[in-house]
Amino acid sequence: MSEKWNITLKVSRQKEGQTPHFDEYKMEVDPDEYVLDAVERVWAFMDRTLCFRHACHHSTCGACGMRVNDVEKLTCITYIRDVTHNGATLKVEPLRNFPVVSDLAVDMGSLYSRLEQVGARSVLPAPEAEIENPPATWNAADQQYIRLADCIECGLCISACPAAATSTEYLGPAVLAGAQANGLKRNPELLQIVDAEDGVWRCHSAFECTAVCPSFVDPARRIMDLRSQVVKERFRSLFRKA
Amino acid sequence: MTQNSAAPSVSAPKSGENTWLWLIKIVTGPLLLILVIVHLIVNHFIGETGLLTYADIVAYYRNPLIPAMEITFLAAVVTHSLIGLRGIVLDLKPARNILKIIDWAMVIFGVSTVIYGTWLALTIASKGG
Amino acid sequence: MDPKHNQPSPINFWKWFNPIGRQAGGWAFILNRITALGLTFYLFLHLLVLGQLAIGPEGYNGFVALMRNPIAIAGEMLVVAAGIIHGLNGVRIVLTTFGVGVTRQKQLFYSLMTAAVIAIIVFGVRMFTA
Repeated sequence: MSEKWNITLKVSRQKEGQTPHFDEYKMEVDPDEYVLDAVERVWAFMDRTLCFRHACHHSTCGACGMRVNDVEKLTCITYIRDVTHNGATLKVEPLRNFPVVSDLAVDMGSLYSRLEQVGARSVLPAPEAEIENPPATWNAADQQYIRLADCIECGLCISACPAAATSTEYLGPAVLAGAQANGLKRNPELLQIVDAEDGVWRCHSAFECTAVCPSFVDPARRIMDLRSQVVKERFRSLFRKA
Repeated sequence: MTQNSAAPSVSAPKSGENTWLWLIKIVTGPLLLILVIVHLIVNHFIGETGLLTYADIVAYYRNPLIPAMEITFLAAVVTHSLIGLRGIVLDLKPARNILKIIDWAMVIFGVSTVIYGTWLALTIASKGG
Repeated sequence: MDPKHNQPSPINFWKWFNPIGRQAGGWAFILNRITALGLTFYLFLHLLVLGQLAIGPEGYNGFVALMRNPIAIAGEMLVVAAGIIHGLNGVRIVLTTFGVGVTRQKQLFYSLMTAAVIAIIVFGVRMFTA
């Protein structure tokens, strides 16, 4: 009843001290399965030395981000059908711009520590959470309703960002988006962090981050908004001094 | 081997880029769009053949608005181009001392270019008598 | 083995120009960067060449005669094309920074580049038939 495809999974392998290389695994898959399922099957039945990250399998934890055929994807929600066809190759590589720990698992430490630096919140009160169809006005009592922030800290955006490819210190889309969600009004100390060469001015409007974000954060829009917040604040401070 | 990122916080070294530099780039940009269209139209479409001989150019520069326009164009394009180039350099995260050298080189180069171009424009304008 | 593998590094600058896996905004970035570098190079070359004017009619008219060949004209067309593409892409950047069209930047890119192609063709026809 379910379709069967024969594909070749081409997986990037790299252990400590080694040069990265690709290993190929011929396998039979159901095209309506996810890429993560195929990777797991390689680990379970073909090669126990394959190292990769996964947890929730439903796009909430952000652990399974990888590059699938040169495009950043959250592999637990990426159908095999959408990225390859019967008889073809499926290339899987780790995210870019992070050091590789082992095979497909990368060290996300820089992302997490930068998110902390800008005070990115993972839980927001409903009035600040940019929900769909909000009420016309919020009551003070509505602050008690909380919502998880969209960002699942998966790092796909940083992998896709062309500026992050060359700049070691660029805060990156996820971090700037987190800063924007706080806003300069609520966190004025953010101004000197984001109005900097490693902040909003390193963004060149490639919008690749928004293109790959699996969680509707739209980091590019947020970076643009943060930029206009910064510009307005700088103008305001001019007149304040005068 | 976990990598802890350096903290871009209050104690960080002075940033190489800020709102004002970017604003100059973003203001000269649309200005240049207008100026470059004017520049191209007059260079290629004025009269029958555009500015194809020395005599054409001298005549064209008689109107004082023209050297004024071209000098403004020059200043705007050199500024925009060098700030943009510097942005590309910053993408490569250069060491601070190298950045300082590049900054000075760009300022000197930019100012000299604008002076040179201004001198050239005024020289041609003066040839018209 | 290169310990910096897969990490941000200035060596990766060639990756700026790699279109694989990129979408509309990524192509815009690539186009903008290439045209920026090309136009900067042309700018300073152009200013240098204009120094010929200071020499007098022989200098300039001789230079124009040299440039009236299809290859040079094609080269100039490339510069004009670069200028138009870079300028219109810049419009996209200004607009999105101030919140206009930021959720529709793909369409913005496509329509601006269509306008660019039209403008280039119009200019090109005029240049080659003059």
